[in-house]
Amino acid sequence: MSTGKILPIADAAQTWAYTRRLLGRHRAPLVVITVANTVAAVAGLAGPFVLGRLVDGVTEGITLEAARDLVLLAVGAIVLQSLITRFAQRRAMVFGETVFADMREEFVETVTSLPLSTVETAGTGDLIARTTRDVSRIQNAVRFGVPRLVVAVVTLVLTIAVSFVLAPLVAVAILVGVPVLVAVARWYLKRATPAYQRESAAYAQLDGTVTESVEGARTVDALKIGRRRTARGDDDLHEAFQAERGTLFLRTVLFPGVDFAFMIAPISVLVWGCYLASEGTVTIGGVASIVMYTYQLQGPVWELIFWLDEIQVAATSLSRIIGVRLVPTDRVAGTAVPTDEHVRGEGVRYAYREGTDVLHGIDLDLRVGERLAIVGPSGSGKSTLGRMLAGIHPPTGGTVRVGGVPLVDLPLEDLRKHVALVTQEHHVFVGSLADNLRLAKIDADDAELLAALRAVDAHGWVEALDEGLATEVGSGGHKLTPAQAQQVALARLVLLDPHTLVLDEATSLLDPRAARHLERSLNAVLEGRTVVAIAHRLHTAHDADRVAVLDGGRITEIGAHDELVAANGEYASLWHSWQHE
Amino acid sequence: MSVVVRTVFVVRSLPFADPGTPPLRGPLTLLLWLARKQAHVLLVAMFFGVLSFTCSAFQPYLLGHVIDSATGSGLSRTTWSWVAVMGGVGVVWIASNAIGHRWDITAWMHAAFRTSQLVTRTVARSGHNITKELPTGEVVSSVANDTMRIGEVFAVLGQTLGSVATYTIVVVLMLRQSLTLGLVIALGLPVVAAVLALLVKPLQKHQKKQRDAQGRLTTLGADTVSGLRILRGIGGEKVFTGRYRDQSQKVRQAGVDVAGTQSVLDALQVLLPGLFIALVVYLGAAEAIAGRISTGQLVAFYGYASFLSWPVHLLVQSVNVVTKAHVAAGKVVKVLQVVPATGATGSSATMPPPDVALVDETTGVTLEPGRVLALVSADPDESAQVAIRMGRFDDEAETATPVTLGGVRLADLDKEALRDRVVVADATPALFSGRLAGELDVRDAANREALLRALHVADAHDVLESLPDGIEGEIPEKGRSLSGGQRQRVALARALVTDPEVLVLVEPTSAVDAHTEARIAQRLTEWRRGRTTLIVTASPLVLDHVDEVLFLDDGTVAARGTHRELLDLAPDAPGGQAAARYRRVVGRSLAEDDEAAGLDQELDALLGANAQEGGTA
Repeated sequence: MSTGKILPIADAAQTWAYTRRLLGRHRAPLVVITVANTVAAVAGLAGPFVLGRLVDGVTEGITLEAARDLVLLAVGAIVLQSLITRFAQRRAMVFGETVFADMREEFVETVTSLPLSTVETAGTGDLIARTTRDVSRIQNAVRFGVPRLVVAVVTLVLTIAVSFVLAPLVAVAILVGVPVLVAVARWYLKRATPAYQRESAAYAQLDGTVTESVEGARTVDALKIGRRRTARGDDDLHEAFQAERGTLFLRTVLFPGVDFAFMIAPISVLVWGCYLASEGTVTIGGVASIVMYTYQLQGPVWELIFWLDEIQVAATSLSRIIGVRLVPTDRVAGTAVPTDEHVRGEGVRYAYREGTDVLHGIDLDLRVGERLAIVGPSGSGKSTLGRMLAGIHPPTGGTVRVGGVPLVDLPLEDLRKHVALVTQEHHVFVGSLADNLRLAKIDADDAELLAALRAVDAHGWVEALDEGLATEVGSGGHKLTPAQAQQVALARLVLLDPHTLVLDEATSLLDPRAARHLERSLNAVLEGRTVVAIAHRLHTAHDADRVAVLDGGRITEIGAHDELVAANGEYASLWHSWQHE
Repeated sequence: MSVVVRTVFVVRSLPFADPGTPPLRGPLTLLLWLARKQAHVLLVAMFFGVLSFTCSAFQPYLLGHVIDSATGSGLSRTTWSWVAVMGGVGVVWIASNAIGHRWDITAWMHAAFRTSQLVTRTVARSGHNITKELPTGEVVSSVANDTMRIGEVFAVLGQTLGSVATYTIVVVLMLRQSLTLGLVIALGLPVVAAVLALLVKPLQKHQKKQRDAQGRLTTLGADTVSGLRILRGIGGEKVFTGRYRDQSQKVRQAGVDVAGTQSVLDALQVLLPGLFIALVVYLGAAEAIAGRISTGQLVAFYGYASFLSWPVHLLVQSVNVVTKAHVAAGKVVKVLQVVPATGATGSSATMPPPDVALVDETTGVTLEPGRVLALVSADPDESAQVAIRMGRFDDEAETATPVTLGGVRLADLDKEALRDRVVVADATPALFSGRLAGELDVRDAANREALLRALHVADAHDVLESLPDGIEGEIPEKGRSLSGGQRQRVALARALVTDPEVLVLVEPTSAVDAHTEARIAQRLTEWRRGRTTLIVTASPLVLDHVDEVLFLDDGTVAARGTHRELLDLAPDAPGGQAAARYRRVVGRSLAEDDEAAGLDQELDALLGANAQEGGTA
């Protein structure tokens, strides 16, 4: 029921447009980094230049003083390069951190303003994966990749340019390796992303298998499936092996290809340079400088391939992150104000997939202050109807109105004051107990919070806590029992104070004992409100003012418990078997 | 030829059929055992590592000779032959680099995969002891991270040895040409490397701080999204995005601190080797001017000075890798040391014949052969404990509370054979990802009809419809795409498919709605009719269908009979008091407040009235 919809993924054009906009927003630091790195790269070229001059000098009979001056020139360049590197690298990393912080904050903001219906149907699994895994996958590319790429490109271009300035004739030979290099790198980069993704998917699968085996250790033992679990792990490892072999093959082509380019280039420079030197066109020292430059190109080229690879992988994660921005809004708030608290559904239809209605035109008029129980077999559409009545989804046909205004025309903040959906989910947020309560009413003071807790019978255990409302709860904090967590959720409702509540099997996941205590808390919350309870256990129905039996997306019976029992229909037979005839 | 091909290209298929049994004395023993297990792989990797690094060490040397020869005689035969040697060495370098990498990765995989296999085997036979002794995260991390760290030691072995070789070769070559320069390089480079290594410490401290802040940020993000339904339904999005932004800025600030240290390190990485090269070049130039070395040798010295920083860097890295692997091996050993919760000591008794009673000696709950029973207790934990004991999940913990089969303690029996006869499905059985049909048929013994029948009994046809390929469809990890009720029904079907002599089910219908529960209760009891079965539940819908109900109160069976009999038993009849308490337990759904003792009568009257009403309707 909750897996039908998948969140969108951005296409290449959208991803590219986003990247351009993002970099555009940070243009100034980007320019500074590029300029600084250019200066540093130029200074870094002094070493081989000085070497060449020394080689020529020695042949021509240079003095030791002159040699020393040349070396001091090189030392000066090195010191300059170090100083600028310190500045430029710092700026580049700060740039990366800032851009990345920007991106993740914007992303979380987008996620937390997703349309209600998307949140309910898409489930949180995919979103959590995008918030954690995808965000961490792009982090290296954003934090280091972009700055490093700038450095690598600047260094490459300058090294080649300076070679051409020093000895254009010799420098031509540097390019001998380029065709092989480009061909191999392109071949590799085209195949790398899927190959490495297969690899990480294989290891993720293995981690999943181990997690399942550990968490289900008791079941593994009880059903004697240890051998199966081991075999599953071995299968995962075999897949990882195949994936590793795939990437190994790619590198078995890439490494020799790049290495060949860097073997052939200096040799070509040497041979060609020595020929030119024997012709008297260039000096041996000049040749030595260019040879050293070719060796210096190796670092930036590897860096370039590495980061292009990394950025490619990151791009797929980026497209999933940007994809969340593409979710269309599911409603446009109007300005009409409800005249009363009367909720009423007319001809409500809903289809998750086009053409297959889950609800077939339901009319349901809630009496203000009544308790209505909805019962029915799994798949009858109970939960879907509940979501319609709570204004989570715009119905695909018909309307649900409160005080004459369609629920989905209300601004979200107002909608919450009218109707709230309470599900069996009871997430405790990381933070203090007070933080967990204040969600519902941001300006509530401690007294109000305690009053709400008292209303749901929870003040006892809260006051017993050493730090009371300030106790840190949630993952890593003080652990609340499921019943306590549910009470916190109920206290939130007290604070929110909507006139109508839709309870979707709110207590079904609790053990029977806890459910009983909770019922008292729940009753306190329900007091004085219109309540629609999607019933799991029949006693909920027994206590209700009216019972609606839903079957196949239609209300087949509706009326008071006693009436329905007397009518001797589906509900009556169920009730009798529950009560033992 | 085939030997060459095998050495060069073919990587042995993994995983291993049998990963072997390692000694578990400590991390070092484990690492050495792993090394011994793949000694041949390591030898080949080291051979190519040394070969490749030796080739690159000779490059500056050859370069110097080409330059000297060209300076003297231009592109003469001698020059061409030095170029040819340079090319030849280059080709060997390329080949050994590529092949060496394959063997490095092979060595890595052998160690990492073998260790992973050891962990998965330990987990598979440990029973619940694995979760009792270690947090889940630690066990998963041993496969996800620690095995990888262990593998790295073996992956860098070839390169490490190669680096040592390069370093030695270069120092020898230089010492032969110039004592001073040779000594400067031999001693200077390690000093440079050591200084840089020292700076790595504060950097790592900052990095750790950022990682921790980042970890908190990820937790916060995941937490916000996990509760997104609540945030969107109740409110508070702004508060939570604000919180996220604050932490995100803290991470950014920590990153800026890292950048401070990192950029100093980067600058020093330029400065120190640069100054070192300048020193070498200056000394070399002086020697050359004095005519003690040739210009070619001057170029070669420059080459050595700049190229050597790579192997030295690798050596420093290797120390790091070994340290991390040692820690990782320690964690893995801790996982491997977990002793199985049951059957660790083997069996000492022979298996009793079929159709004997299974008895929980502590409470006296007895499963007579061929009866479908239900167990009810005022305290649901108490009855669940009885069922769990019957499952024999922990020999050590259960020594004082034995369960016997035909008079023999379960702990004395062969565990594997016992599991075939007695199956206990507890209240929260785990589902595993995989093909539904495969996951249902854990014994690999059922045919399609049997699986469908079990799904029918568990009323789980809707699960079939929700999967795209029906019974051949894939269940995702932990059955996440299924609802709580669906998961429970699939687990029930799975337990039914095992079709054991004795089947014990704990709260098998707690998460399903009343309609479904009614159907399951009827079909389940029908299906198990005539075979030993115990259902722990307090649901009247189920209790109504079993042969007999055992009511557990204060640690003993206080009342027994059919659900009907227990409901109808007058309070003053023998066992009437217990029956009254039973009614309170199973009928509590109708009681507003069972803490008031005086309500007993009223409640009985109410239940009676309802039963009558049902009868006449």
